[in-house]
Amino acid sequence: MMDYYLRLALSRCRQNVPMVLLLVLTMAIGIASTMTALTIFRALAGAPLPGVSPSLYVATMDARESVDKDNPDYKQPDSLLKFADAKALVDAHRAVQQVAVAQSLTQIGRPDGDQSAQAYGLMAYGPVLQAFGVPLRYGRPWTEAELASNAPVLVIDTHTAQKLFGTENAVGRSVTLGRRSFRVIGVSAPWKPRVQMFDVAQSRGNLMGQDENFFVPAEASLDAGVGPLIAGECGKDAPVASFQSTQVSQCRWLEAWVRLDTPAQVSAYGPFLAGYANAQHDAGRFVYPPQARLYSTQAWLALNHVVPDDVHLNLMLAGGFLLLCLVNVAGLLAARFLRRQGDVAIRRALGASKRDVFVQHLVETGLLGLLGGVLALPLTWLGLWIVRMQPVSYAEAARFSPGVFAILLALSVGVGLVVGILPAWRVCRQPPALQIKLA
Amino acid sequence: MRHIVKPLLRQRMMPLLVALQVALACAIACNALFLLQQKLVPIVTPDGVGQPDCLIVAWNIAPRGNPWPPATLRQTATELRAIPGVASASLAASWPMETMAQLSGTVVAEGKGIKASASVYIGDHLLDTLGLKLLEGRNFSAGEDALIYKGMGLEADGPAIITQALARHLFPDGDALGKVIRIGDQADAARRTVVGVVAHLMRNKFGQDDREDVDYTLLFPGTPSNWPVPIFGVRVRSKAEATGVLKAMKAVVQRELGPNMIQGIDPAYESYGDMRERMLAQSKAAVWLLSGVSLIVLLVTVVGIMGLTSYWVQQRARQIGIRRALGAQRGNILREVQLENLLVVGVGILFGMVLAYAINLWLMHRYELSRLPWNYLPYGAALMLLLGQCAVLSPALRAARVPPVVATRSV
Repeated sequence: MMDYYLRLALSRCRQNVPMVLLLVLTMAIGIASTMTALTIFRALAGAPLPGVSPSLYVATMDARESVDKDNPDYKQPDSLLKFADAKALVDAHRAVQQVAVAQSLTQIGRPDGDQSAQAYGLMAYGPVLQAFGVPLRYGRPWTEAELASNAPVLVIDTHTAQKLFGTENAVGRSVTLGRRSFRVIGVSAPWKPRVQMFDVAQSRGNLMGQDENFFVPAEASLDAGVGPLIAGECGKDAPVASFQSTQVSQCRWLEAWVRLDTPAQVSAYGPFLAGYANAQHDAGRFVYPPQARLYSTQAWLALNHVVPDDVHLNLMLAGGFLLLCLVNVAGLLAARFLRRQGDVAIRRALGASKRDVFVQHLVETGLLGLLGGVLALPLTWLGLWIVRMQPVSYAEAARFSPGVFAILLALSVGVGLVVGILPAWRVCRQPPALQIKLA
Repeated sequence: MRHIVKPLLRQRMMPLLVALQVALACAIACNALFLLQQKLVPIVTPDGVGQPDCLIVAWNIAPRGNPWPPATLRQTATELRAIPGVASASLAASWPMETMAQLSGTVVAEGKGIKASASVYIGDHLLDTLGLKLLEGRNFSAGEDALIYKGMGLEADGPAIITQALARHLFPDGDALGKVIRIGDQADAARRTVVGVVAHLMRNKFGQDDREDVDYTLLFPGTPSNWPVPIFGVRVRSKAEATGVLKAMKAVVQRELGPNMIQGIDPAYESYGDMRERMLAQSKAAVWLLSGVSLIVLLVTVVGIMGLTSYWVQQRARQIGIRRALGAQRGNILREVQLENLLVVGVGILFGMVLAYAINLWLMHRYELSRLPWNYLPYGAALMLLLGQCAVLSPALRAARVPPVVATRSV
C-alpha cells in the first residue's frame, strides 16, 4: 500500500511543477536557515569540554583586599584569586579534583637555541591534566611531590614537540622556558576547550580560544621568570603589572576549578568555599563580604555572555522563519489538496477509508519534505560558507558535521509531516457524497 | 460588509492561515528590522574623524611586566612628531574604533543633574590628530596637554572638550561652554569644565547604543601614568606621504618601546579608515543578514497570500458568477476581494503587533536589547497592508474576470 501511495505522490508531484517547486523551495529555505543557525549554536553552546566540563565548577568570591571606589557593590562575580587563596582551595582537597590555572604566553625553546616556538599554555597548581581531562600521548602528568618541590617539569603538546624536536615523543628532553631549563615529562594531544572558558572576563573577543601548547607548575614557571599573560587584578599599592609579569604576588590572577561529580558533592563544596572566604573576611583580609559562589561551567559562561547574544538571536530568528515557512507551506498544501477533492471523493466512494486518504496525503507531504531536505543540504552548506566568510568571532564554528546532517534529515521529514497534517485532515473530513456532488 | 465577513467565518481555515502568516511575518519582520536599525547606527552616524586615510594608528602595544613610564611614551610621541610629513601626533590611552581600552561611564551635568553614559578619550593633541571639527570654544592649551595624571586621569579635575550631541543632552539650554561635568555620580567625582564643543566623535563602545548616545564623548588632555596599553595616532600631511611615515613610525616605536614589549604580541599599525572598516565589518555583516531575512520573510508571506487567495477565489467562482449575473460590476468584485484581504490581513497585523511586542519584551528581559519604539508598529502595519494588497491584486483581478455565465454551469 505504502508503495502505491509513494507512486501516487510522485506522479502528483509531476503535476503543477511550479507549485511543487515553490513548496519545496520554501521548506528548503526554512530548513536551511534553521540548520545554519543551529549548527553554530550547537558548536558554541555545548559543553566546552564534552564529558568533563559538566562536572567542573569555578569558585568565585569578592576577594578584594582594599576598598575599590569604582566597583563598590561587586555586581559581577569575580573568579580571580591570589595565589595563596587558590593554593589553599586546592590543598584542601575537598573536591574530587581541584586545580588553579592562569593563561600564559611565552617562548619555548630548545636548550641549544636552535628552535623555539611561540606557545600559549596554562600555569597550574594542581593536577591540571586529570582535572580537565587533557589526553596524554606520551609520558605522565606531574606528581604532588614535583609540584610541592617546584620541580622544573612541564608537559607540552605534540605540536610544540614536533616543532622543537621533529618528533612527537619528546619525553625526557629539556626545553628552555624563561630563564630555566625544564624537563618534558609528558606530551599531550592538541587540546583546547571548544569555547574559551578560562579567565573569560579578560578574554573577551577571543571566543574560540587557542590550543594550550604547554602545562607548567605555576611556581616553577614564576621562578623561571614566566608569568601569566594578564596580571589580573592587582592591589592599589602594588607595582602596576600588566602582561607576562612575575611580580604578581599582590595580584589576583588564578582561577580555581574543581571537579564535583554528584549533587551531594556540589552542595557540600558550597559551604566549604563560603566558609573559607568568610574566614578570610573575618580575619580582615577581604574587605567586602565575600559572597562566595560556585558556578558550573555552563552557568559561568552564560553569566559572562561568552557566547555572543547574536548567536541566540539568530537561532530564534531562524526558528521563527521556519515556523512562518511551515504555516505558508501548510496553506499552499491545503489549497493544493482541496483542489483535488474530486479525486478523493471517487476514492472514498470506491471504498477507501478516511484513514487511507489521510495516510496517502501524509505520504505525499512527507515526500515533499524529504525533497525540501535534499535541497536544504546545499543551501545549509552555502549558509555555513557565508557565515565562515563573515568577520564574526564564531566564524570557525560554522562547520558542517555528520550530526548536523542527521538532524537535517529528521527535521525535513518532520517538517513535511507537520505541514501535511492539517491539509490531509481537512481533505479526508468531508463526506464522499457531498464531494462527488461538488465535483 | 456583512457579505464579506460572513463567508470568512463560514470557511475559517483559509482566512485563518493567511492571518496567521501575516501575524508571524509581522512579528519577525518588526523585530528583525529593529535589530537591523540598531546595527545600522554606528555605520551611518558620522564618527567625526577627518580624513581617515591620513591618520595612522599604532595600537596593541603591550609592555612586558610594568607599563612604560610616561616620559618614555612622551619621548616616543615627540620622535613621531619629528618624522617628516607628520602634521600632528598623539599619545592616547583610548582611541575611537579601538576596543581594547574602553573608558565609559556615567557623567552628570553639575547643577542640572542630567546624566548620560559617555566614553572618554584621554591623550595629548587629540583634536588636531583626530581632525575633529571644533564648533565652539577652544582647543586644549599646550600646558593642559602636558599634564601627567597620577593614575588614569578620570579622578582629576580639569578641562574637557565634548561633542555637540552630549552638550545638547547635558545642557539643553545650549550653554555648555564653561559648565562643569562630573565624572561619575559619587559626591567626590572629578569636575571637568567644558572648554570646547566638537561636531562629532563616536564612542568606542557600541552595540546596543541608540542613535543619540553613540555620539556621547568627552576628550581629556594629558597622559595617564601606569597605563599598560598606550596608543599612538599620527596624522600625515597628505595621503601620499603615508607609506613613508608608516615605515618611520614602526622604526621609532620599535626602537623606543621594542625592547620591553611582550614577546609574541606585535603592535598593530593601521590607517584609521581600515580600523573603522574592521570594527564595522561585523555590524555590516549583521545588516546584510537581517535585511536578507526580512526580505525573504516578506517575500514568503506575499507568495503565501497569493497562493491561498487564488485558491479561495477559484473555490467561489460560482458564487462570484452568480453575483455578476445578479448585476455586480467587475469593480465591485475586485473591491470586495481587496476589502476581504484588508480585513484578514488587518486581523493578522493586530495579532502580529501584539506578538512583536511580546517577543521584544522577552528579548529585552533575556538580552540587553532596548525597547521596540512604538512608531515601528504603524510603519510595520502599513507595510504589511500594502504587501497584502499587492499579493491579492492578481487573484482579485482574476475573480473580477469571472463571467456571469459561470453561474449557469454545472449546477
